Amino acid sequence: MQVKNEKDFWAGLMFIAFGLAFALIAVGPPAALVELGRQLGWKIQYGYPMGSAVRMGPAYFPTVLGGLLAVLGAIVFVRSFFSKLPRAATAVQMSFNLADLAIGVAVYALLAWLSKRVFGTADWGMMAGSVVLAALAFVYRPKAKPIVLIVASAMVFAYLLKPLGLVASSILLVFVAALGGHEYRTKEVAILAVVLAIFSVLVFVKGLTLPFPVWPAFLQ
Amino acid sequence: MEGIVGKLGLGFEVVFTLKQFDWELFGTTLAVKLPFNVLMCLIGALLGTLIGVLPGVGPVATIAMLLPITFNLDPIGALIMLAGIYYGAQYGGSTTAILVNLPGESSSVVTCLDGYQMARRGRAGPALATAALGSFFAGCFATLVVALFAPPLAEVALKFGPAEYFSLMVLGLVAAVVLAHGSLVKAVAMVILGLLLGLVGTDVNSGVLRFAFGIPELADGIGFVVVAMGMFGIAEIVTNLEQAEKREVFTKKVSHLWPTREDFRRMMPAVLRGTFLGSALGILPGGGALLASFGAYTLEKKVSRYAHEFGQGAIEGVAAPESANNAGAQTSFIPLLTLGIPSNAVMALMIGAMMIQGIAPGPQVMEQRPQLFWGMIASMWVGNLMLVILNLPLIGMWIKLLTVPYRLLYPTILLFMGIGVFSLSNNPFDVLIMAFFGVLGYICVKLECEPAPMILGFILGPLMEENLRRAMLLARGDALVFVQKPISAAFLLAALVLLALIAAPNIRKKREQVFVEET
Repeated sequence: MQVKNEKDFWAGLMFIAFGLAFALIAVGPPAALVELGRQLGWKIQYGYPMGSAVRMGPAYFPTVLGGLLAVLGAIVFVRSFFSKLPRAATAVQMSFNLADLAIGVAVYALLAWLSKRVFGTADWGMMAGSVVLAALAFVYRPKAKPIVLIVASAMVFAYLLKPLGLVASSILLVFVAALGGHEYRTKEVAILAVVLAIFSVLVFVKGLTLPFPVWPAFLQ
Repeated sequence: MEGIVGKLGLGFEVVFTLKQFDWELFGTTLAVKLPFNVLMCLIGALLGTLIGVLPGVGPVATIAMLLPITFNLDPIGALIMLAGIYYGAQYGGSTTAILVNLPGESSSVVTCLDGYQMARRGRAGPALATAALGSFFAGCFATLVVALFAPPLAEVALKFGPAEYFSLMVLGLVAAVVLAHGSLVKAVAMVILGLLLGLVGTDVNSGVLRFAFGIPELADGIGFVVVAMGMFGIAEIVTNLEQAEKREVFTKKVSHLWPTREDFRRMMPAVLRGTFLGSALGILPGGGALLASFGAYTLEKKVSRYAHEFGQGAIEGVAAPESANNAGAQTSFIPLLTLGIPSNAVMALMIGAMMIQGIAPGPQVMEQRPQLFWGMIASMWVGNLMLVILNLPLIGMWIKLLTVPYRLLYPTILLFMGIGVFSLSNNPFDVLIMAFFGVLGYICVKLECEPAPMILGFILGPLMEENLRRAMLLARGDALVFVQKPISAAFLLAALVLLALIAAPNIRKKREQVFVEET
């Protein structure tokens, strides 16, 4: 068997995974497994109550929908072996592959967990993860720079807004985001960053009175 | 009829009400009386045109960004402004389509076909004028349609029970699937994925925390704004960046705007047909500006005497879809104002805006808050008038804006998105979720799974579950209740017919053709 439609192949798998995940979490593991887990000292959660058609429990709707999604995913998946569309139209052109995605998620999760243990908050891990992934993208996956750096810029902005204030974090966002583009001109980006920082302080903090700190916390 | 005139009068009164502003200036208090709602309408129209002109920023992202800010505003003014952004974007979108051959707005995709060809033949001016005048006519007409049709519909809607609501939402979701490009199965799967994601958080009936993985921020569910910004905003920026920038701006000066007598003769019927069709398609759940413009172009190509000129700069090919998208944008407020059901992502944001102000959307709004309801309708007409002025004499300003390169634009958009999302709850976690949906949206785009049906499913998920549960409880678990109640049965039948229609082989081929031609 040969995959004739790459897009449908992966889309089908994605739908099956999402559908099964939602349905299985809703239903929960079998009672015997939960009991076994208890004895081994693990915390395994039961599923949600299913209820009946008259009084639907919280598990009812998601289980039905999750099952339906998995079935539709299976249809898309099977269909991908019989597609007659030209190869060029069905090839997936992603800037990263499944392994990259897994590494990315793992880096964020690991650093967030570490930071939670050391500092008591996951925030620093999120920022460190963004920096690590940006570096990895620069070295190994230049094509994935847009997605990694755009995501990183948003994360850096969000997690630095409270400690560093709006001015510094928006300047950082503009620089990191600009690195994700095709042409990077330091002078132009610098001007843009300063203009945007001033604009957002005037409009959002002064004008619309959003409760953002303007300057870094350590300066006050 | 007389009642409508009186109520529209009330609406205009609301729009033109002067509000006193006290400014502290150099120790003295300056009291200025300003027509606050007219100002809000102007701001909305300006912003709408701006983001309509700029490719890559849509009304969904803009309204989502502004949503948290409207908290501090008066409800009528806030909704008037947000509505202005949506229909304003329909005006702005055509400018980019005609001059750059890029859809400034997704609903202007079809305008590119003939509008750009007109511009290449040195007829950019008449094309722009046609788009603006057609939109204006359609806007005025659609305002009337909303005023006439909303009240009786709301009366009917008051009688709706949970079964009717559930079936209506099914119809809406099916309509969203029809709208989607490409594979039908994938579109349905995306709707279901959206429904499931909408269930994350505390279950209202039992208080059980679902799919929250012990994260406290997820107890209230995933915010719609966050999902929309990720799926539309972030994903779009990334896909734009992956393609090298190749924008050819029509820098030649746009001269002689006014269409010739011959142009007027040819565009009139197209504008009329576009307006009627657009108004009708806008009312459908799942409808709105996008569906309207596609529908109008296809219809025009069928019935026009100049069908052979389509694709080579036929003025009908600009007039019809541009009138239709504006009409559709406005009439899509009807399901929102009468049923409390959003027919597209923008309307879902409007629900969000109403909720922020403590207004539960639904048929009772018209009775309880006539000023809000009629004020909003009257503001649409005022807004359309402003937009013609903004878009015809001031067109040069918008053309200049088109020369701003994308590399300066996207960090700006990103910053505003970040500020908007962060301000929702002053928590970086929302931005994390936005990033998650950005990556998911990117993957979906690459796998040709449309995000639009997913978003609609996401909005309707909790509502649907709630109504399904109530209907089943009332019917003692008898699922036949959905076909026994006549209105509910009619909705389900319509959904079935719609599904059968697109699944039928020759119509499916046609549908694929329409989408292929236009991409």
